[in-house]
Amino acid sequence: MSHPILNVEDVSKSYDGFKAISDLNFYLFEGELRTVIGPNGAGKSTFFDLITGRAKPDMGRIQFFEDDLTQLNEYEINRLGIGRKFQAPSVYRNHTVWENLLLSLSGTRGVFAALFHRLSSDQRDRIDELLKLIRLDEKRDLHAEQLSHGEKQWLEIGMLLASDPKVLLIDEPAAGMTDEETHRTGELLLSLAGKHSLVVVEHDMTFVKQIAQDTGVTVLHQGSVLFEGKFDEVQANPQVREVYLGRGKHEP
Amino acid sequence: MIAQPDNSRLKTELIIAGMIAFFMLVVMPILNAQGIISNFTINLWGKYLSYALLAISVDLLWGYTGLLSLGQALFFTLGGYMHGMYLMRMIGDLGQYQQPIPDFLVFLGWTELPNFWKPFSSFPFAFGMVLLVPGIVAGIFGFFAFRSRIKGVYFSILTQALTYAAAIMFFRNNLLLGGNNGFTDFKFILGFDILSATTQRWLYIATGVTLLGVYALCRWLSKTKFGLVQRAIRDGENRVLFSGYAAADYKLFVFVLSAMIASVAGALYVPQVGIINPGEMVPAKSLEAVVWVAVGGRGTLVGPIIGAIFINVLKSWAARAFPDLWLFLLGGLFILVVIFLPGGLVSLPERLRPVWAKIRSWFPSRAVAVTAPADSDSNPTKLN
Amino acid sequence: MKIIHTHRWLVIYALLLWGGNSVGAATSREVIAEAMLASNDREKIAIIDTLAGLGDADLAALLAAWKRDELFVFSDTNGSKTPVLIPGGQDAFDTAVPQTILGQVILVDGSGEVVVPTRDTMDRVRHNNRLRRAMKRVLDLMDLGSEAAGKRLQAVQTIGFSRDLDNLPVLEARLAIEENGQVHQALRQAIALVQLNHAEPVVRLAAVKELGKIHSLSSTDALTSILADATKAGDQALVAAATSALREVEEHRSVVDFVGTIFRGLSLGSILLVVALGLAITFGLMGVINMAHGEMIAVGAYTTYLVQNIFGAGIVIPAFGLSIGIPGMNLEGWGYELYFVAAVPASFLMAALVGIALERGIIQFLYRRPLESLLATWGVSLVLQQVFKLMFGANNVQVSSPSYLSGNWTVADIVFGWNRVFVIGFAILIVFGVWLALNKTSLGLLIRAVMQNRSMAGFMGVRTARVNMLTFGLGSGLAGLAGAFLSQIGNVGPSLGQAYIVDSFMVVVVGGVGNIAGTVISAFGIGGIDQVLQQYLPVWAPGLGWVPFFGGFLQNLAQDSSVFGKILVLAFIILFLQWRPAGIFARKGRQLDE
Repeated sequence: MSHPILNVEDVSKSYDGFKAISDLNFYLFEGELRTVIGPNGAGKSTFFDLITGRAKPDMGRIQFFEDDLTQLNEYEINRLGIGRKFQAPSVYRNHTVWENLLLSLSGTRGVFAALFHRLSSDQRDRIDELLKLIRLDEKRDLHAEQLSHGEKQWLEIGMLLASDPKVLLIDEPAAGMTDEETHRTGELLLSLAGKHSLVVVEHDMTFVKQIAQDTGVTVLHQGSVLFEGKFDEVQANPQVREVYLGRGKHEP
Repeated sequence: MIAQPDNSRLKTELIIAGMIAFFMLVVMPILNAQGIISNFTINLWGKYLSYALLAISVDLLWGYTGLLSLGQALFFTLGGYMHGMYLMRMIGDLGQYQQPIPDFLVFLGWTELPNFWKPFSSFPFAFGMVLLVPGIVAGIFGFFAFRSRIKGVYFSILTQALTYAAAIMFFRNNLLLGGNNGFTDFKFILGFDILSATTQRWLYIATGVTLLGVYALCRWLSKTKFGLVQRAIRDGENRVLFSGYAAADYKLFVFVLSAMIASVAGALYVPQVGIINPGEMVPAKSLEAVVWVAVGGRGTLVGPIIGAIFINVLKSWAARAFPDLWLFLLGGLFILVVIFLPGGLVSLPERLRPVWAKIRSWFPSRAVAVTAPADSDSNPTKLN
Repeated sequence: MKIIHTHRWLVIYALLLWGGNSVGAATSREVIAEAMLASNDREKIAIIDTLAGLGDADLAALLAAWKRDELFVFSDTNGSKTPVLIPGGQDAFDTAVPQTILGQVILVDGSGEVVVPTRDTMDRVRHNNRLRRAMKRVLDLMDLGSEAAGKRLQAVQTIGFSRDLDNLPVLEARLAIEENGQVHQALRQAIALVQLNHAEPVVRLAAVKELGKIHSLSSTDALTSILADATKAGDQALVAAATSALREVEEHRSVVDFVGTIFRGLSLGSILLVVALGLAITFGLMGVINMAHGEMIAVGAYTTYLVQNIFGAGIVIPAFGLSIGIPGMNLEGWGYELYFVAAVPASFLMAALVGIALERGIIQFLYRRPLESLLATWGVSLVLQQVFKLMFGANNVQVSSPSYLSGNWTVADIVFGWNRVFVIGFAILIVFGVWLALNKTSLGLLIRAVMQNRSMAGFMGVRTARVNMLTFGLGSGLAGLAGAFLSQIGNVGPSLGQAYIVDSFMVVVVGGVGNIAGTVISAFGIGGIDQVLQQYLPVWAPGLGWVPFFGGFLQNLAQDSSVFGKILVLAFIILFLQWRPAGIFARKGRQLDE
């Protein structure tokens, strides 16, 4: 593999004296699917906040291709090609499914462009395609708030894809889904790897096992990387077992 | 037109709006010219229509973008002042002191016009200022407010403070805008006698036409992608930011546009009531306009118009019938609407539909399945 | 002549040493009677001069009567003379009844008949310019011996500004025995001011130096004119002394202005703090935008008014067609003045009760809809304002300040009003009380738990509805306290609350929501900046001319320093929020608001 596209180096961030992230190093390569796991409070959401510009690191470097992400805000980072899906599905409740996707399509984002925007037939086709992919074709005219929890998760993933990002940051995509939906979500994410780079934060170990069979897993603990490796290696690692199962006291 | 074509509801609304507009803009003035509708009534309705414009400006921010501005009274009054300056110049030397400059300036010891007053003798200039001055004020304030992500109640509180600060400034004589008396005793507009029935009728028509135009503009806006983004900001600003939209730019655009609409409303209001003073600028006036929108139904375009007219008709009547109690009526109505009818009067038919359906279900032969079609623009109960 | 002088000094010393009104046998009545009988003007003046520094209730009245030509000397057939007063003077001879000056009885002749004044029997006591000047001096000096330090102070100042050399010995005599520091200081200033007119250059020079040394703020004009004269006369020593004295005075003035500004800033900050503290709880902790907060303040102020009336003569309140009569306790003096002590807890309770009713009736439905709580509570504020108007009238009501809140201390020319000192102390007490309530009581623990996480606290078995109600009651009660407080400082009327609502919200927003310490700092910060701008804008404003296009306009506006200051404060707040959007003490925790 070539150079990593996303470099997170020596990053620290604390809130009111609590170190959410400390000396974190993380590298993501093009087309990679990386799963991030870790116990509660390990700093997974803060990690995403730092990459997407919602929070600024106290120190350290975050670089995406040539750009220094610590100097940019949320929408500038998004425009560089980093999309984020939130833990709780974040969709426009009072817009239809179709409108949700339309708003997320890649393209200009300016005020005046939006005033005089006209939809091209390519864009229409792209929306139709996405609707089929996330299986919401039938529900395109429903308001997003009328969807089930799982469907909202899918819609949000669809919105991410509509903007055609280079990197997708996905926070607990399987939360609140049935087993079957979870499995289908896993398949979808696997099919995206290669075309996009993905970072998936997940709790559900069955799901992690499904998507991380052949890909890398990063274990976060107390704000820094505890271990990186294949799923089997992670499972076998005594340190990880200790953190997760809490056997014995933490030894330095 | 980007949004999915919104069925027959819109069509119905447009047909009804067209009919009402025809009646208000053509039939009423003709009846007035014939002497069937009194000049007083026309004048009163001219005032209501400029209030309706103000209400739309509130709703464009609050109902559509989720920004509750308590500064709309400021922009309304600024518009009034800009137009008022022109009207003051048109008095010429017909004032009490028979001087070529406004009376209050003579009173303050000025012998010639201060520089910034001079261009206001020109109507086009004054009209430009009606748009420009509130636009600039809103632009500067909004730039800073939105840049630092001030939203929700903080935005309300700060706009309220802005209005308050401006009001205390306008109360001072040193501003050279008439102090607490403001401007009054206007004589001419564009060369016509401002008090004549014909002029007042045309002012009424101008207000109505402007309202219609602003209504159409907002209708169009809500159907563009801009409108979609606007409402997306209202419902989930974070998602908008993380989708690559600079939400602050959109908010600033809406804020400035809405300030200009409020300002035009004020500019139309002043020649019809014949006075403008800083009393119109206090934060309570902004809140009153918010009440109209809340009562009429926010997040819709007809709601604010209905609300502004309904409350003001009620007010005119109640203030005469029960001068001591009408504030109880207004305050009470307001509390009730906020708690029990968050969608306002326009949501009343929908709220009553289940009741109506129940009544119908007592007559099985005519029972019809009822599903409430969702309104694409609005779901006010879900605003934060 | 010499004898008279000695006599005069005796009187003065006696007076100054004993400080009393009557000195031995010579009451002012007797002295004036004596003067009236004196044969010539010079003698009259000499006798009147002996009254210098004598404080006697009759003196002013008698001298005034003299000037009105109402004093006469009655000569009866035996040739004995009696000084009398005839109200109305010569024109009233037909109707007036003459009164003797000494005995204050109706003048009767030998047979007991009331004397009817005629031009032959009544000899008007005349007065000329010199006599009138003597009278004025006596009157001016009258209060110098008063037992009330305030009166003495005023007299000293008046005498000082008259700059009459004749008064010098009196002032010096008083200075030797004056014990009150403030009056002592004023005496030094008065003496120096008078000495500026002295013929001896050495004395003048010393006086100028003295004025500089004692930082006499009110001598600026005198010193300036001395400086001008000395420059003209080429008196180098005096020029130098006057220049340096003026500089010292100006330095002192800037210190006084500065300390005074700080004090006013502190007191305004305290007012803002007390007014905003309740809001910091309802808005900051609970997230409820209570637009009726101002009316809660008014509830407190009106409660104070009610309590005052209950301690006094009672009150009748018209309410919705009924008249509710509340009998009063008809207390007077200290008993009455203690009303404020009772009014403070009453205001708290009353406002807390209204607040609790508001929370139960309306706000509990709107916890998840902050913008709508803003609107509904605005409706409440309209209704409450109208209630005040119907119950207490549309005009301001009269709330009197108890004597223990209406005086002031003056320390080194800086005036510390008791009510303002009280405001500062009260604010400190309330903040301490709130801190105790939130941090050291079980209710405080519950409040903090519920405010941090309503649903979690609910799961833990906390009765959140009750805690919400009590928290809102506490916030409203604090607003009520603020009202009791404001009744001592400003007007009490139906729109009292409106005047403070914007400021209170600003204080809470700048302080950082949910943080009492932030509210404290922000209140004092805003109060301080506001007062500094008010004090110094008139100094700085002329320098604003350079601003392109708006320069003249700004210079013009800055004359209204209070208004312009307020606007600048708002601009600062907006800029401040650029830097710290969440206030001084932002909660830095990560929050998922979606």
